[in-house]
Amino acid sequence: MDCPLETHEGSALLLAYSSGRLERESTVPLERHLETCPGCRQFVESQSSVWRALDSWEAPPVSADFDRRLYQRIEQQVSWWDMLLRPFRPVFHSRSLPIAAAAGVLIMAGVLLDRPAVVPITPPQQSAQVEALQPDQVEHAVDEVEMLDQFNHLMRSEPAEPAAKM
Amino acid sequence: MDERVKTDMGATAAALDYDAELMLRVRDGDGASFGVLLDKHRLSVIHFLYRMVQNHAVAEELAQEVFLRVYRSRSTYEPTAKFTTWLFRIATHLALNALRDGKHEKSQERLDDASGDLPVRQVSDKRPTVEASMVYESRLEEVRKAVATLPEKQRAAVLMHKYQDMEYSQIARVLNCSESAVKSLLFRAYESLRARLAHMA
Ligand SMILES: [Zn+2]
Repeated sequence: MDCPLETHEGSALLLAYSSGRLERESTVPLERHLETCPGCRQFVESQSSVWRALDSWEAPPVSADFDRRLYQRIEQQVSWWDMLLRPFRPVFHSRSLPIAAAAGVLIMAGVLLDRPAVVPITPPQQSAQVEALQPDQVEHAVDEVEMLDQFNHLMRSEPAEPAAKM
Repeated sequence: MDERVKTDMGATAAALDYDAELMLRVRDGDGASFGVLLDKHRLSVIHFLYRMVQNHAVAEELAQEVFLRVYRSRSTYEPTAKFTTWLFRIATHLALNALRDGKHEKSQERLDDASGDLPVRQVSDKRPTVEASMVYESRLEEVRKAVATLPEKQRAAVLMHKYQDMEYSQIARVLNCSESAVKSLLFRAYESLRARLAHMA
């Protein structure tokens, strides 16, 4: 067996072809190769079966009250969460410390005024942050997610979302 | 290309990615844009999570958490990546955590109880024959089990590749690994799936 496609690139090509994502200019020479190579032909046939099998797997419909539950949670959690998180945020975004502090104060004020949190709280001046763009912002978001997890474990004194368990 | 150098980076990424633009509006206090983002991505996030954990209730709960976190992070949002990369990164992270926390045990139970998450209407409404629906169920069961058996990262990669139509490069950014790592994750995953599912016509 000396198939030229027995490489990583070859596999990628065959995978793309089996899923119908190969550009036309690569399709023609590949199909010519398939005519003469039983190994690749077998790969394509079995991969296409996998593709069809996965196609047949439909996800169940989304619950009708999904959005309502989400907005309810936003309303319930965002205000206390912001209040808790703001003072810690400088650990992760040290450059935005004054902004975070200001935001904390604003949000505290919002909470005191019993302002519903779904109505987005007008953020403080963000222009400084736009200039201080950090390339690894996704990293920070995930850091924050991890921290959120820890907090959730700590703060989850009530059974999580009884409404969601319908 | 020259124009974007002088404008702020946010505007640049937003021009490339309408979702990012919407998210910037959310950051700036526009709640309606959050609704638009939710409408656009609700289904794909829930379906991805459903196929990861294979339990509808858990998937919806995790999806709620995903969108909640998107909303919570709005004030620090910067469009440094495609919005969907960020979104699926959060979703994947939560799914992997849930699986490690043992919520997957529920999903394993569900796998054994095939009736649990099936879109019942599809099999019972038309009711061609009892056998036909049994065949459908057992095929579906086989697919679900094959996917559930994949190691978590391979599973996430396959689901994003197959159902979200993502490029290797985007999957790499979501999983925080190199593009070649994604390729080998996918090759190994599809190899297992071929071994388990290729006999299905
Ligand atoms: Zn070949």
